[in-house]
Formats: sequence, C-alpha cells, structure tokens
Amino acid sequence: MRRNYGVTLIASIWVFIFLIPLLGALYTSLRTDNAILSGPFVWEFDSTFSHYKNAMGAAGYDFANFFKNSIIISIGTVALTIFISFPASYAIVRLGFGGPWLLRLALALRITPAIFFVIPFYKLFTAYNLIDSPLALILANSFINMTLALLVFSGAINELPLEIEEAAAVDGASIWKTLKTIVLPLLGPGMAAVGVLTFLFSWSDYLFAVVLTSSEATPVTVGAANFVTSYGVRWGDISAAVCLSVLPPLVFATAAQKYLVKGLSSGAVKG
Amino acid sequence: MLLIWPVYLGIKTSFTHDVLSEFATYGAGLENYKNLIKQPNFWLSLRFTMIYAIVATILEVILGFALALLFDRIFPGKRVLFSLMLVPIMIAPSLMAVMYRLILNENIGVIPGVLQRLGIEFSIFEQHNVFGSLIALDVLEFTAFTFLLSYSALQNMPSEIYEAAAIDGANARQVLTRVVLPMLRPALAIIFLLRILDSIRTFDSVFILTGGGPGTTTQTVGIYIYKTAFIFGDFGLAASASVVLVLLLAPFMPSIIKQFNLNQGGGK
Repeated sequence: MRRNYGVTLIASIWVFIFLIPLLGALYTSLRTDNAILSGPFVWEFDSTFSHYKNAMGAAGYDFANFFKNSIIISIGTVALTIFISFPASYAIVRLGFGGPWLLRLALALRITPAIFFVIPFYKLFTAYNLIDSPLALILANSFINMTLALLVFSGAINELPLEIEEAAAVDGASIWKTLKTIVLPLLGPGMAAVGVLTFLFSWSDYLFAVVLTSSEATPVTVGAANFVTSYGVRWGDISAAVCLSVLPPLVFATAAQKYLVKGLSSGAVKG
Repeated sequence: MLLIWPVYLGIKTSFTHDVLSEFATYGAGLENYKNLIKQPNFWLSLRFTMIYAIVATILEVILGFALALLFDRIFPGKRVLFSLMLVPIMIAPSLMAVMYRLILNENIGVIPGVLQRLGIEFSIFEQHNVFGSLIALDVLEFTAFTFLLSYSALQNMPSEIYEAAAIDGANARQVLTRVVLPMLRPALAIIFLLRILDSIRTFDSVFILTGGGPGTTTQTVGIYIYKTAFIFGDFGLAASASVVLVLLLAPFMPSIIKQFNLNQGGGK
C-alpha cells in the first residue's frame, strides 16, 4: 500500500495552525526579557528559566496560590460530582426514581447557559458567606457538571445487564453493597469519562471564578487573565504562567484521551 | 429538588427590583422586563451574539468535518497528530484568550510581526476588523470539538456501506456526496446544534480579548448580563436578561433531548 505522506503533511499543517497560540506562549516564555522586548523574532534562550521561577513565586505574584486553588477546586468538584451523581443515577435508572423526566430536566439544565446561574449563585453564596472560598466554586462547578454526570452514568447503568445485580440480590447483598462491589467496578469507563470531563470543565471555568472569588480562592484562569492587565509588560512571566496553567489538564486529559473522546461524543454538552 | 433551587432564585430575581446601591429589594412585577426591552445595548448584544454564533458554527462544522474526512484514513503519524488535534479542547478558553493576546500583541506578538514583515497593514482589534478576528480565533479554538464529533460519527459508519458503494462503481466524490453526507446529516445537525448553543453563551474568550469593545461592538449577551449585574449592580435587570436568553434557547431543547434518548439505548 502506498504510504500517505501527503495526508500527513496536510494534517501536520493544520495541527500546527491550531497550536500556534500554545507554541507562541511557549516561545515567549523561554526567551529572555531583552529578546522579548526587542521584537517577536529575536531569539535569546533564557537558560535560567527565570520566567517560570518568577511565575511560581520568585517575583512575589500569587500565582502559586492560584495554582493550588485550581487543583483543590477541580479535584473537589470531581469528587463531589461523582459522589452525588453516581448513586442518584442508579436510583433513577434501577429504582425508577423520577424516571425519564428527571433526565430530561437534567438535559434541559445542561443546555441552560451558565450565565443564567451566576446571579442566583452569587446571591446564595453571599447569603451563606461563601464568597471567595474554594467551597463556593466546588459547589457551583459540581452543580453545572452534575447534569452531565447524571446523563453519562444513567446511560452506562442502562447498558449493564440486570441479571448480575439480580444475582447479587439473590445472594443477599443490599443495594449499597451491590453498588459498591458489583456495579462500581463495571462502570470504570463511565466513571473515567465523567472524571476527566468534570476535571477539564472545572479547571476551565472562568465565569463562576470571576464572579465568586476576589483574591483568596482565585483559580489560574482568572489569575492568568488578570495578569495581562495588572502586569502589562511582564510578557515572559505571563507566558510562563499560562504554560504552567494549561499543563495539568493537558497531561490528565491526554492520558485519559480514550475516555475524553467517549464522554464528549456521547452527547456531552459543554458548560 | 436541589437542582431546581438556583433556577427558581434566578427567575425570582428577574421579577425583583434589586439594585446594589439601594438596600431594599422589593417585588417589581414586570418592571425589569419592560426596562430590558428599552435597552438598546441588550438588543445589540443579542444581535451580535446570534450573528457571531451562526457564522462561527457554520465555519467550524465545515472545517471540522473536512478534517475528520482527512483523518478517516490510514497515514503515518496519525495517532500523534490526532492527539495533537484534540489539544485545544483541553485548554481553558480563558487561558487560550490570554495566549491570543500574547501572540497578537502589537509590540511583542508573533502574528503582527509576521504581518509586518509581509508588509500587510492590518490592525486586528480595530473596529472594522474585530468581528472577523474574533470569528477566526473562535474557529481556531473550537474546530477541535466539531472535528472530534464528526470523526467519531464517521467511525460509526458501517464499513459494508463503502464496500457496497465500491462494488456499484461509485468514485470517491460520489461516495461522499451520495452516501456519507446523507447518512451523517443527523449527526452533523446535532454537532451544529451543540456548537451553536455553546457559542451563544460565549463569554470568557471575548471578554478577555476585547472586554466587549471597542465600545460595545463585540458585547455578547453573556458580557451584557455580567456587566449589568456586577459592574452596574442591577441584578434584577441582569436576571431578566438571562431569563430571556434561556427562553430564546428553549426551542432547541426538545431536539437535543430527543437526540439523547435515541443515543441512550445504542450507547454511541
């Protein structure tokens, strides 16, 4: 068979075009301040990686803190979302709770723009004094991702053969025990899909973060965007900060690419 | 249930006189909606959002599908290139916008640098150019999504169909226009729908890139609602704007729901 190098070439060109922003940021972050300021094509390698050191705290930015917040918020959201939506979907599918209407409602909520929820959440969290705490963002992001998780889980549970659970029930296992020892392990792929998507979406959240945080709980998305305005001329540091910020979801989602593809192509709607 | 509470609160706020600078909030009936209708900025932002979403989505679906066709064959380096194609999906839109600002910056950016070397006078965020620029950036960012969905739709096509078409003597172009496209029409319609619903709520990228400016020329509905609530402090008005937005999207919901119910059995 003829080797299709032509296709490889065309595909590579498109990939390059799509990656220009990332490559541009990487390029800027690795040059010295001198080179950056003397023009876009002056190359002088910054062998000390000073921009990365600055971004991680050497220059006194809060960026390390933003980074920590993003990690807490994303992991917290994944845990809370799975913890609530998994038993809930089981109840919907197997115990007939709420039936298809609940799922349709979840879908309708999923389509509702996040901006609609911003005002209610702001009022709710102000009332409970949760503004600028990671918990507020965990709750808001879990709420938004919950509907997606419900849909993916109910789909996956629907596909499980009922006989396995019946056999467990005959052997005297309680519903919780069946869930834990039999259903859960079989739902690994669905779980991974929910996990990686929820992680991605909560790491990417900007809208809730910009409204619900002011300084203490700010994640990297808002932090990096504020960087541009508040430290206007420190392009190298900003680039380094952005490159670091995209790294965790990139690594995580690439590792779990199979589940990402599955989750996104099974009717997932972004938040 | 837990999920309903914020919806209720949002709708309630839209019927309340709730301004940050005044302590008292009270029921206002339809006052906010009447005010909203009189806001030219709201209508402008609605119009901008719709045009932006439609143009961007059409381009993204076409390009995504074309790239999916390109990838729907065997070639060296496919696995790596496929993974790299998905990278934009994994980058937060707000961080992407920050990177855009870096590469588009007039003094240090690579893109203006290249344009200058080529002798092209083009100011990316100038009034006349800003719409096209934002569309181009949106296409660069979200084609990965339409690409991925088109690609998995293509993968789900049974291979017998290609064989049957080949036996009947169809050439590549006939296979595409007479077999693949008609069969994928429902899938493409769904991809279009998902993507357009997403672009209607565009907030992060445009907000960071232009802040809705110059003036209010690139103000999406999301930015309008955000500014009304958190800069001008009128929560009631902003909430009523978001209710109107949801009502505008509501007609799309049944077709999405139908699609999902179809999928549920098949496990696409």
